[in-house]
Amino acid sequence: MRCDEVRLHLLDYQEGRLRPEAQNAVRAHLDGCSDCIRADTVEQELTRLLEQRLPQHPASLALKRRLAARWAQPSSPRSWWSRWRASLAPALAATAVVLVAAPLVYYERAASRAAREQTAMVAEAVNDHLRLLASPRSLDVERGGLHQVKPWFAGRLDFAPVVTFEGDADFPLKGGSLGYFRDRKAAVFVYARRLHPISLLVFRADDLPWPSRGLTRLDGVDASIAADRGFNVIVWRRGQLGYALVSDVDARELAALAARLTGGS
Amino acid sequence: MLSWTRGERETGGVSTLANQALAYVDVLHNLARYLTGNETDAEDLVQETYARALRAEHQFTPGTNLKAWLFRILRNTFLSSYRRRRNDPTVGGLDTVAAEAEGMAPSDWLLGDVELDRLRKVVAEEIEAALMTLSEESRTVILLDLEGLTEVEVADVVGCAVGTVKSRLARARATLRHKLKDYAR
Repeated sequence: MRCDEVRLHLLDYQEGRLRPEAQNAVRAHLDGCSDCIRADTVEQELTRLLEQRLPQHPASLALKRRLAARWAQPSSPRSWWSRWRASLAPALAATAVVLVAAPLVYYERAASRAAREQTAMVAEAVNDHLRLLASPRSLDVERGGLHQVKPWFAGRLDFAPVVTFEGDADFPLKGGSLGYFRDRKAAVFVYARRLHPISLLVFRADDLPWPSRGLTRLDGVDASIAADRGFNVIVWRRGQLGYALVSDVDARELAALAARLTGGS
Repeated sequence: MLSWTRGERETGGVSTLANQALAYVDVLHNLARYLTGNETDAEDLVQETYARALRAEHQFTPGTNLKAWLFRILRNTFLSSYRRRRNDPTVGGLDTVAAEAEGMAPSDWLLGDVELDRLRKVVAEEIEAALMTLSEESRTVILLDLEGLTEVEVADVVGCAVGTVKSRLARARATLRHKLKDYAR
């Protein structure tokens, strides 16, 4: 490989995006070319600068509210049923009223109730996340890792939050705070993805209307996944505790953190 | 593992495309801010992007990258809206960089140890200012690469051949480094 070819592929090489043979060829060239080693160092430095120091400009809460008010749509199977019903031939309508009206009404009520339950849980989680962001002192306990954050909750809650994910390079644990989820206290663990804060609320799950439909299997638990006002939310229950993960990070990235949390919690 | 399926979305079991699209508002606003150079225009651009995207919802192909699709609409909206205002003194417009600097070849990449040391001392405001001096396309490919888009997705957003994305990104980064030398002293 010539120097100009190597330098064109340096970014892909650093990200491991090259095919194995190309990756090996670049590595072999770098072993014997001081100029390209320097170029590689410079590229890494520029990437670090861009990833860590380039200011990010997230949308304002006002813009998020305007967009949500204009475009957000509640998740509900009702519209599916409405479209389905509308396509039925009129000749079947009368018969359908007699034969399926009762089950339909039952199903729609159940579906509507499930959708309301999910919407309420999601909205509560987003509100809690926003309250944390708006708080001038958002973290009650900072740094020190999970073994400093978890003990801080002792005596402040009537349960012990079961969280074993200590954070990693992708999702560092920033700290913890005391919060509320509906009528009960919650332990809030704050992780981060780049500059985006991610709240994990842990709370007693009893007597809450947990969604029972549209759940996604997630490492041993059934999770409810939704988006509200520009935030992604993943809610699940394990044993006597409920968990709500909220952030404006990409949905796939939030799912990656959820997998780490449910894999170990 | 966790995944959204077409069936779940179409039946409304998880969330609608609109709700999923709204989750990308921060990254869209970030690109809009770096394209327009000011907050007011960035917010207008993001709002227009959502309006166009959700009117054209049926054109989105399930299973493809929704974020990349939204980026493409945002950039096209920016180009169509802001080309009409080329004479406006907008910071970070379409053509804010000297042609000779943009034409910097990847072979100009080498920097001495002194320059590398300066690069390490660049602060946030300086790297933002340097980025804003690049052409719109250079800013876009650098930011899309940072967002993790693939070459195919970047090519789709920028409207160029997949084979040229790598060289355009390399030139854009080389020019940015060249600019940063002026800041980091």
